[in-house]
Amino acid sequence: MILLDRLERLAGVCAIATAVRRGEITAVEIIQNRLDRIERLNPALNCFTQIFADRALEMARAVDVMVQAGQDPGPLAGVPFGVKDNYDVAGRVTSAGSIINRRRAAAKADAIILQRAAKAGAVLVGTQNMDEFAYGFTTENAHYGPTRNPHDHDRSAGGSSGGSAASVAAGLTDFSLGTDTNGSIRVPASFCGIFGLKPTFGRLPRTGTFPFVHDLDHLGSFARSAADLAAIYDAIQGHDDHDVACAQRAIQPTSPALRKLDQSFDVAVLGGWFHDMADEQGHAAVAAVASALGATHRLTLDLAERARAGAFVLTAASGGNLHREALQAQAQDFDPATRDRLLAGLLLPADLVLQAQRIRQVFREQIMAAFRKHDLLIAAATPCTAPLLGQSTIRINGQDVPARPNMGVLTQPLSFVGLPIVTVPVVRTGLPIGVQIVAPPWREDAALAAAARLEAEGIVQTAVADAC
Amino acid sequence: MNEEEKLTVLAKLAGLNIDPAYHLGVAMQLRALLTQGELLTSPPLAAEIEPAPAYHP
Repeated sequence: MILLDRLERLAGVCAIATAVRRGEITAVEIIQNRLDRIERLNPALNCFTQIFADRALEMARAVDVMVQAGQDPGPLAGVPFGVKDNYDVAGRVTSAGSIINRRRAAAKADAIILQRAAKAGAVLVGTQNMDEFAYGFTTENAHYGPTRNPHDHDRSAGGSSGGSAASVAAGLTDFSLGTDTNGSIRVPASFCGIFGLKPTFGRLPRTGTFPFVHDLDHLGSFARSAADLAAIYDAIQGHDDHDVACAQRAIQPTSPALRKLDQSFDVAVLGGWFHDMADEQGHAAVAAVASALGATHRLTLDLAERARAGAFVLTAASGGNLHREALQAQAQDFDPATRDRLLAGLLLPADLVLQAQRIRQVFREQIMAAFRKHDLLIAAATPCTAPLLGQSTIRINGQDVPARPNMGVLTQPLSFVGLPIVTVPVVRTGLPIGVQIVAPPWREDAALAAAARLEAEGIVQTAVADAC
Repeated sequence: MNEEEKLTVLAKLAGLNIDPAYHLGVAMQLRALLTQGELLTSPPLAAEIEPAPAYHP
């Protein structure tokens, strides 16, 4: 009973897995608890596109059988999780938030990352809502409806992995897997007040996920603590031959680094573009993190605005290219907000796309030079807190700009060069806002360790949604 | 030519069939992309900067 009370208070990945492995609670009890919670809260939030109650309970029973037999079901034993609807689930058509994909064949196997999560004992409970084809920052999906922010149901959960983030913030699942092409993990993590990890480009294999922009697509995760993020990441990382962009790197566990809370980092605050495009709430959040990490340097990357422009242009062109056939044959079936941008991407001069790639190269050199002086960089994750659903403009740097394409102004330059980033929810009153902790390539451990230290010092903490 | 007419010509040249009902929305998005594109071309990059992947031992 005590454990079930703790579950209601959203114990999290590590606590649940430990309790299940010790036989203190069964996986079935946990999954049933979360399925009940989903039934109660999801109709208002719209986090899920499909719920796999039978499959989840079956998997949970298999975990319990292992525990009863004295076997170890894995580091994520019995932990309920959800997945963005652009991951393959065997026997199901991967919608990627569209209706166009309904004509595709059902997936023959789970995405490789889902297979690894299952092998670690985690239990998939459903697929989660997203912007159509991951092209958006608000999860206002014309086909499946908007996902609502658990902290204020009139506001956006962020996107494009909005269903996945809101699900974790509301305690419907204890972690979620999403994707991040331009900020689709970091923006919803910021708006929903939870932790998000976008690893280095090429770290997690995308095998069995539906693409958006091949050379910008990353997989990643959401959770309610840094330790939980590390445990998930450690269970799912590793090379896979079927994703040509996946790096041939050995598994590098990150959880041990989180236990060294006394380690210090040379941290710089990103200024210039990253300061100008954030509002006062973002500045305050960054200042709190900077103070706790002892960051005294401010660094301006003068190519940041051009890098963002490059990501913006490359995304439209590459996305347009990917969907060219469907845009010609069934344009009427696209979400209008997606369709018009993809069609515009097809009309872009090749010159601009090439120029975007050249800017990317120079920006990468600029940021790698910064990492020769500093261990970590920090910046606000979003230009503001969650906007209202349907809000057409936001005010950034004294100007009213369209809301939907501009939520990623602070995330786009950084994913353009594939850096590992942890978004942390800064403790504050009012709506949540996150800060990006940016590490050099392959140093997920450093970003996660800094996040854990901030959490231990009470600077960052998951914002539990009152409404839930 | 107004923007819609320009878009019709551009789509034809690109070999794309775009329903006239979408022209206004596509033109608006293209304008936003080209505005960002201006940031990419000015100031110009050094001639030796290229995006090709480089393999090192």
